[in-house]
Amino acid sequence: MSIEVKDVSKNYGSFQALQKISLTIQTGELVALLGPSGSGKTTLLRIIAGLETSDQGAILLHGAEATQRTASSRGIGFVFQHYALFRHMSIFENVAFGLRVQPRAIRLSRREIHARVEELLHLVQLDSYSRMFPDQLSGGQRQRVALARALAVRPKVLLLDEPFSALDAKVRKDLRNWLRRIHDELHVTTVLVTHDQEEALEVADRVAILNRGALEQIDSPQAIYDHPASPFVFNFLGNVNLFHGRLLADLTPQTGGTEQGDSSIGFVRPHELEISRTLPEDTRAVLVRVARIQAAGSLARIELSTPDGKEQFTAEIGQSELQLLALQAGEDVFITPRAIRYFDNAETKELLDQGAGI
Amino acid sequence: MSGHTRPHSSHLLRPSLASRMTRIALIFSALVLLSFFLVLPLVGVFVQAFDQGWKIFIESLRQEDVYAALRLTALVVAISVPLNTVFGIAASWAITRFDFYGKNLLITLIDIPLAVSPVVAGLMYVEVFGLHGWMGPWLSEHNLHVIFAVPGIVLATVFVTFPFVARELIPFMQAQGSDEEEAAAVLGASGASIFWRVTLPNIKWPLLYGMVLAASRSMGEFGAVSVVSGHIRGKTTTLPLQVEMFYNEYNFTAAFAVASLLTCAAIITLITKKIIEVTTGLHQHQAEDERSS
Repeated sequence: MSIEVKDVSKNYGSFQALQKISLTIQTGELVALLGPSGSGKTTLLRIIAGLETSDQGAILLHGAEATQRTASSRGIGFVFQHYALFRHMSIFENVAFGLRVQPRAIRLSRREIHARVEELLHLVQLDSYSRMFPDQLSGGQRQRVALARALAVRPKVLLLDEPFSALDAKVRKDLRNWLRRIHDELHVTTVLVTHDQEEALEVADRVAILNRGALEQIDSPQAIYDHPASPFVFNFLGNVNLFHGRLLADLTPQTGGTEQGDSSIGFVRPHELEISRTLPEDTRAVLVRVARIQAAGSLARIELSTPDGKEQFTAEIGQSELQLLALQAGEDVFITPRAIRYFDNAETKELLDQGAGI
Repeated sequence: MSGHTRPHSSHLLRPSLASRMTRIALIFSALVLLSFFLVLPLVGVFVQAFDQGWKIFIESLRQEDVYAALRLTALVVAISVPLNTVFGIAASWAITRFDFYGKNLLITLIDIPLAVSPVVAGLMYVEVFGLHGWMGPWLSEHNLHVIFAVPGIVLATVFVTFPFVARELIPFMQAQGSDEEEAAAVLGASGASIFWRVTLPNIKWPLLYGMVLAASRSMGEFGAVSVVSGHIRGKTTTLPLQVEMFYNEYNFTAAFAVASLLTCAAIITLITKKIIEVTTGLHQHQAEDERSS
């Protein structure tokens, strides 16, 4: 079932939670709504579910108007951040709940319900837990029960509100891969809300990035990473180095608004910095001093700063390259960006004024 | 410098010894006060009741008036507790699950019965339903008796016990949040289904706790009931009023015998309360939270 969000706006008092959001999610697609806290992503998800009403705009489910329909009639599966399992019911009863409250006319028989619940508990690998209660399970297990409960009524749409954010890093990683496998098995249209860019890029078919109630960009993870539409998106997807300078003739700005000769700021990812001991034949090279080397992990992180200490950079290089360079803290080297992106100066300035973690 | 900041070992010992002495002294004085003001008088009730022996005790209870008072008290409890339960659930549900204009006013209104003297509450009902009150003429035209009759007693008791269930449920439901109810709604449950299958099972213990408190208060209410009752023997006399009546007639043994019944009811209430607290952890978590914060 496809989901269509049309010009949806929502205010809480004077706070604009959503400003005219429009997006379409295709049948069987897994879309991640990504953004910092307060960006409106959870509000949008709750409006799609019918748990919240929009001030303006419409929600269409499979092409049919659903804005006025109640949450219970939308046939949606919803997974909450803090699981929201029924604490006084066994795991079995939790999963069976949606089947038991169906109207008598379409309700399954006791035996069918039993079979369906067993099947789902098997799917989430919790077969032997059916008699336990939610407080006897770990966070990861509870969230799997919550997913089984949501899938029990065979929803056409599955909505997940930061489902893994309360779990520790290892479990989070396992669960999101597992979620992707389940999605590929069931082909249920899925919307995942998250503030974790790694999670969004890894799991989703398409990523929608929200910032302060507005949609910044929606595209495939690859496209969004390679061609971020705004400095906000670029910054939100990973670490960023800033190059201050004047645009020279041989640099073509990626987006409009920046003219040759203007003072401008270029964005460079840490892995796009080249470190060398001799001055390269590149006008963009900068002399920097090595401040700190973090060699743990597959990539080494090198903290660098200009000799006057005014500007900081971070570079990420492979372990073999690090050994080849034999860098020492305190020595002077040159860095050259392999790729620089430029954005509209006004937007960049706004982002920097917000004190975004650059 | 360092000599100033580092205390000698004797300095370290003395405050702990002093604090232990203080603790013992405080506990001791608290116990003495408690036994003087609470335990001794409570025992005194039973001593007085059995002063003239078992036989007289039983006989003073086996009077038509006492039976009538017992029946009336039971009736008042049987009406006021369910009414307050329904009201309490409705109010807590509205307050914790919805945002509406005048919510704070409603929360304040719920507390009025706790702030107002029960006598004043009784007078308020006399003013409204009494013969010379606002509705008095209309009521007497239709031959309806509220004041100096059972309906007045029930009304006054309901008013006085209004806050008990709601005040127990509101903080509990606030802390619990509405996640589970939302989950049930998305799964297709109807409003009634959500209430019976999710909300009620979750609030059953605090609800029972509030009901026990309300029942105990409706049994023992004196002030408000005294004003509206009219003290008609065997008709509008509840147990507390019966105690007063016997007492004013210098029938001390009978007064204390009936009083001992009320005391037993109170003790049963306390034990029930404690059982709920221990088996469910209700109110204990709150105390722990307060300590840790």
